[in-house]
Amino acid sequence: MKTFSKSPALLALAALAAAGCILTSGQFVAHYALPDSAFNTSGTFQGEIVDLNTIREYNDHKQDLKRVDDLALVGDIRNNGAAAVQVEAWIVPAATTPPIGVVPGAVKLWGPISVPAGSTVSVGWDESSTLFVGKQVLIDEIKGDGVFGVYLSAPSPTYDINTTNAAFIAVFSAAK
Amino acid sequence: MKRILALVSAGTLLCASLAHAGNIGFGAYGGMSFPVLQEDQSQGSIYGLRAPLSLTPLLSVEPFWSSSALGDQLVNVGGVDFTREGSDVTTFGANVMFSTSGPTRFYPYVGMGSVQFKRSGQDETFTSYQFGLGFGFTPAPRFNLDFRGELQAAAKDQVSRKMANVLVGVTYSLYSF
Repeated sequence: MKTFSKSPALLALAALAAAGCILTSGQFVAHYALPDSAFNTSGTFQGEIVDLNTIREYNDHKQDLKRVDDLALVGDIRNNGAAAVQVEAWIVPAATTPPIGVVPGAVKLWGPISVPAGSTVSVGWDESSTLFVGKQVLIDEIKGDGVFGVYLSAPSPTYDINTTNAAFIAVFSAAK
Repeated sequence: MKRILALVSAGTLLCASLAHAGNIGFGAYGGMSFPVLQEDQSQGSIYGLRAPLSLTPLLSVEPFWSSSALGDQLVNVGGVDFTREGSDVTTFGANVMFSTSGPTRFYPYVGMGSVQFKRSGQDETFTSYQFGLGFGFTPAPRFNLDFRGELQAAAKDQVSRKMANVLVGVTYSLYSF
């Protein structure tokens, strides 16, 4: 009988806790600047390790992270080749060192985006957010150790591309 | 037995009130919507339609629809600015208002519904919970002007996107019963 009499109070407390969780949550933007990099089939291939743990916004909310709301890979992509290329981004979930060359087991993360010969394409946040194809792998990394490798490539026999002002942006929801 | 008597009494009182106090109206409103703890969008405009149904002088149910265009957000990464467009937010649902009586009315209200956030790369539906406080008066027969402040929480996965909405609306009384 005592259990029954306590039930409404316990339910009310649980409802308050759930409501509190919803009301005290927020959406936070974490961004990671990537160094200028080159990716070509003639030898230079400079992938990058992204360590989100070095970002304050991520570290502050990592324990309370509930969901990833938005992702973007932004920056300028230049095609130095003589033919247009379809640029793609790949993620290496277990990487601890920068990927050197195309890595077996990498997962296609983003793209393709067409870059005409001898041109630079600026990829903004809005456009980039529509290009993710391997979102879940990245979400798992963000919710996991926050460390992963990324590189660009193209499904062409030869390509010569480089990136400048590139960054990785994530919006996530966290609640105490 | 006491419970049955109480329910019958409450029902009788409600019916007595319904006999003279019912009203159906239709209104439009607009204002500003301010994201709360959302770093990826900024404030924007909001407008909507509502159809209040007064069941008693003190109690109304109000189905509504609203649309807001939240503003863009700028994020600077390594000296370069990147802009994220704000979401188009569409909500429909119903509020229950607990009004004071008289020519000027203060009314707290609560409600719930469904809310959709849409922008490039995002098309998500959440459950909407809202609560607020309104103030209304009658500047001309059959017209009601009201001002409201509300907090809307779009909830999913134990988190929510929250907006503080400031609204001004006009309602026309269509039919009394």
